Amino acid sequence: MLKGIHQQLDPQESPAFFIQGPKPFSRLMFFCTLSLVMMAVDARFDYLSQVRQWFSTALHPLEVIASAPNEWGRNINTYFTSHNQLIQDNFKLKQQALIDHAALQRLATVDAENAHLRTLLAGDAPIIPEATLGEVMHMGRDPFSNIITLNRGSHHHITPGQAVVDEQGVVGQITRVYPFTSEVTLITDKKLSIPIQIERNQLRAIAFGEGKRNTLDIPYLPTSVDIKVGDKLVTSGIDGVYPAGLAVAIVTQIKQSQDSPFAKIISRPIAGVNNHKHVLILKVPDSPATNPMSESRPMLQRNNAQHLDQSVVDVLQKNNALVDPNPVTTPPVLDAGQPPDTEMTAQPDSAVPTDPVAPPTPPTTPERR
Amino acid sequence: MKPVKFSTFFFTLLVGLIFQLYPWSNAGIIVRPDFLLVIMLYWLLQAPYHCNIGWVWFAGLLVDLSTGSLLGQHALTFAITAFLGLIYQRRLVLFNRWQLYLYVLFLFGVERGLILLLKLFAGGELPDWTYAFPIVSDLILWQFMIIWFGELTRPKKL
Repeated sequence: MLKGIHQQLDPQESPAFFIQGPKPFSRLMFFCTLSLVMMAVDARFDYLSQVRQWFSTALHPLEVIASAPNEWGRNINTYFTSHNQLIQDNFKLKQQALIDHAALQRLATVDAENAHLRTLLAGDAPIIPEATLGEVMHMGRDPFSNIITLNRGSHHHITPGQAVVDEQGVVGQITRVYPFTSEVTLITDKKLSIPIQIERNQLRAIAFGEGKRNTLDIPYLPTSVDIKVGDKLVTSGIDGVYPAGLAVAIVTQIKQSQDSPFAKIISRPIAGVNNHKHVLILKVPDSPATNPMSESRPMLQRNNAQHLDQSVVDVLQKNNALVDPNPVTTPPVLDAGQPPDTEMTAQPDSAVPTDPVAPPTPPTTPERR
Repeated sequence: MKPVKFSTFFFTLLVGLIFQLYPWSNAGIIVRPDFLLVIMLYWLLQAPYHCNIGWVWFAGLLVDLSTGSLLGQHALTFAITAFLGLIYQRRLVLFNRWQLYLYVLFLFGVERGLILLLKLFAGGELPDWTYAFPIVSDLILWQFMIIWFGELTRPKKL
């Protein structure tokens, strides 16, 4: 009987020791060791980040293919947005623009006045953060971690450590950068902490993410501390990453127990990460990072917030019209080279014009990152 | 039955990877099956001459890279799961449908459990019960694989 060659070589029927090569157990041992070594190297050293970059670049086309249906769906959805909806939105936006324009006119005056006063008092110039507009590509694929992916990467000069905000408040921080995308760890992640300040009484503290429960925790505050449900938490700006005055969270719950000297303070983030498609990636202000004193850069919370608004407007203008008469790319950076002692002495003076209630700043707070 | 072409195997791996990379939203993440694990386990049992522990390990590595998790943790759990599947491969192809379901369910559970263990070692938090959901969707995907590529081939009687 004549057999076809493929039948003779049908691997399924050949004895195990002919076809399988190394025994499964030795294979398993080899690959287990390999992955354990990789895990150790990845966790402890930085060697594998390059490998990650290459793979990420290689996977990028597949990623584009994978997210294409989503993109189409979104486009179709946009296309069929009803006429009525558009008119309503247009009306609302026009009203908002009118209000904003009025505020902007005031802002320009106040801005100039503030800069003038600061020069008179030899204070720091306010930091005007540069910002890049980023688009949320998707929520993280790992249900364990609070990570979102943005469509901006190292090709767009994004670096790890940059703060990410939306129009309502702080979203998180860039933790990993790929050539075309970057990962943002949300403020609700366990690994992220953020120096905050209670807007009402300027009390400083550090908020930690709580993992997957979409809340922030403010530990190590005594039970006697002046904090109420409904208090707004804003960034204090003492870490040099987040500009001061950005909204972070609202206190939702305060628990005091007999056996603990600390109050359990729970707050809810303000920024709606799930609702928005666009976020702003703020540039970390250049500062001598080695000097911890320089991080306690005295600045006016209100002013910085306004300057952020200005930069947001600028970025939006840049994106809309591609014309930028007063570019944000050249902020008056006076803070970088100044010795810390002048900053410290300058602080009470510089705090006078708009914000007389600001208490003296403690230099740094211990921070987990 | 003819041996499976290598291109078929490779193509499914690619498709699985694309599904893995799809931007899953909130509810999707909960029910999303481990595409690459199911596909690789199927080929491991159906075509052990193409897919060995090394391939499954590699698929795990791809998952690690795409999720941005610690490099090697999915690779490790995939390799162990593949081993547990492979040592019984010759028996599994003789199993009837329900016995096989039970065993692959066990394998998917093992993979989930191992990942959970690794995450807990790394200081993760215990997830809620929805964490076990993908085991069910894994089984559904397994059934789809059976529908598309056929039941596991029994060896011919000699």
